[in-house]
Amino acid sequence: MKEMKMMLVDDEERFLSTTKKLLARKGHDVLTATSGPEALEMLREHNIHVVILDVKMPGMDGIAALKQIKRQYPMVEVIMLTGHATAESAVEGLKSGATDYLMKPTDIEELLGKAEEAFEKRKRLEEKIRVAQMRTLSGSPRDIIRETEEP
Amino acid sequence: MGGNHYGVMKRIILSCMIGLPLVLLLSVLSISYYFFTHSIESATTASIVRIVEDHRDMIDTFLRERKADLAFILRSYTFKALSNPRELDAVFERLQEKSNTFVDLGVFNEAGLHVAYHGPYKLVGRVYREATWFKEVMKNGYYISDVFLGYRRLPHFVIAVGRQEGGKTWVIRATIDTYMFNHIVEGVHIGKTGEAYLLNAKGVFQTQRRSGGNLMAGDPEALELPESQSSTRTFMQKDSRGEKFLYATTWLREKNWLLVVRQEKSDAFKALYTATYLVLMVSVLGGAVIILAAFFLTGRIVSRIKRADTEKKDLGEQLIRASRLAELGEMAAGFAHEINNPLQIIRSEQALIEAILSDLKEAGGLKESKDLAELEDSLGQIRLQIDRCAKITQSILKFGRQSEPVLEDIDLRDYIPQVTAMISKKASVHGIKLVHDISEDSPLVNADPGQLQQVLMNLLNNAFDAIVSRHGSEGGELTVGVAPRDSEKVEIWVKDNGSGISPENLKKIFSPFFTTKPIGKGTGLGLSVCYGIIDSMGGTIEVASEKGVGATFTITLPAAG
Repeated sequence: MKEMKMMLVDDEERFLSTTKKLLARKGHDVLTATSGPEALEMLREHNIHVVILDVKMPGMDGIAALKQIKRQYPMVEVIMLTGHATAESAVEGLKSGATDYLMKPTDIEELLGKAEEAFEKRKRLEEKIRVAQMRTLSGSPRDIIRETEEP
Repeated sequence: MGGNHYGVMKRIILSCMIGLPLVLLLSVLSISYYFFTHSIESATTASIVRIVEDHRDMIDTFLRERKADLAFILRSYTFKALSNPRELDAVFERLQEKSNTFVDLGVFNEAGLHVAYHGPYKLVGRVYREATWFKEVMKNGYYISDVFLGYRRLPHFVIAVGRQEGGKTWVIRATIDTYMFNHIVEGVHIGKTGEAYLLNAKGVFQTQRRSGGNLMAGDPEALELPESQSSTRTFMQKDSRGEKFLYATTWLREKNWLLVVRQEKSDAFKALYTATYLVLMVSVLGGAVIILAAFFLTGRIVSRIKRADTEKKDLGEQLIRASRLAELGEMAAGFAHEINNPLQIIRSEQALIEAILSDLKEAGGLKESKDLAELEDSLGQIRLQIDRCAKITQSILKFGRQSEPVLEDIDLRDYIPQVTAMISKKASVHGIKLVHDISEDSPLVNADPGQLQQVLMNLLNNAFDAIVSRHGSEGGELTVGVAPRDSEKVEIWVKDNGSGISPENLKKIFSPFFTTKPIGKGTGLGLSVCYGIIDSMGGTIEVASEKGVGATFTITLPAAG
């Protein structure tokens, strides 16, 4: 299947640019956004598979952004990036539909690992959907006939 | 609050507690004593007055009757008949039948010649014309004499009565038995020392006095005789021995003799003296009891107040410490959170440098050299130090941002052994004897089992470190105990016989970043996290320790229900 498309959302621009460069070196194309609204804008324009979302941002915070993303783009996998050491904020994120969470400061390998995991999940999901659609399409040979007969 | 403050308090309480009851006691005692004294005195005086008057009436009656006896004889017989000795004998016998106080009976003619006599003496023929009694009879018709010796040289007194017959006066005279008369007069018994006697107008004893005082002797007390026929008098007077007496005196009606009734004052007022004695005793004993009770109670009150003050101070200190810890926690958490962002950037930068470096190396842009190796080593070190920072900030965040505990009812009797089972292996490796002291009546507690486990593990691990540093791998003992504290609280304690904690360290033991471990070995956050956890469960954690003896951490948790 196609390449994984990631987006990093954080209010720290230096973190975004450095991580983007790092991931680019590892062969990943990464989009970045510095706020929740910007992230939603990017999602509309690009087909993004995995979003890594900082919990604490000025304006729309991570949890609110997560809820918006999941509402508008339910297929997008979201990994929360939290500065809190406790599971508290992670639990809240997971409850709101996040796939996983990362704790700051995080390793680039760890980040990449979780992102790939999420992408795999997304791929499996897409596969299931495709199979399901195929099954409806080709439930029985007659169905195909029926479909061709009823344009 | 200084000791002086308690001293003043003690003095005030003491003076109130002694002063008030003492004033009350003494005033009650003195008022009742005053009225009691008064009533006893008047009752005693009234009683002695009644006695003296009754006794006077009796003596008067006696004298009057004897006089009447003689007057009856005088009326019943003629001078001629009584002059006959045989007739006189018969009359005397009849007289004696009526009253045996008569000793003799004599008949006298107008000239005072003793005409006839019945009695033990030979008095017939004697002439009494010049005798006082005879003259008095001639004048008044009767006479009762004072006690005198007369011809007989024996104390006696006489009653004489005269009668006019055919123009001539004749007289009969009888002698009264002084012994019998004495007996009548003396027959008064009041208390131990009460006595009665008669004095004549010159203050000479007319009867014997029981306490000493012979017939016809002068009264040694030389009573001031009241005017004759005046009413009854009472007074106090000392006798020759200095003994005080209560006197009551009254004049007889039939004869000017003074009846004296007297009683020793101490005897008369015996009840009073008893009362005085009792009052004094009660005052002294009561006073002593009041003073003792006051000292005892004051001591207790003041020590109670002292203890309450100390407890208040301790509680205040505890509150301050708790709020300071909470503030510190907030601050540290905020700080740690903010540090995490730059830390993340540093990590990304470090990773980027590493990536660039390895790319360059692969592309052959960098040759292997000593400098390159050092650069790589240095990068590795940066990575390590970032990890260390991350660990620290995570601990701080754990301390500051305790997640809400999920409270459950835990049965400590099962729970504690489960927790200690996790470290039993480690204990046996270090030769530490693990002891359970779990009270069977420990109630359920309301706590978060995971967090409580974290706290207990922390305490147990600290205890291990302390034991190992003191005993090595032999002789350690670690006790985990549970017991109900009161109806609402349960205590869990972890007691070790390790190296103990010095007093100055005890004060700071729950403060974040306080550690006695070598740099890099401990963050100094373990116990402060424990403190935060127990606090969030509504409990307390305390420590007691003596350097070189051991330490005991005590957790108090609210009982369930």
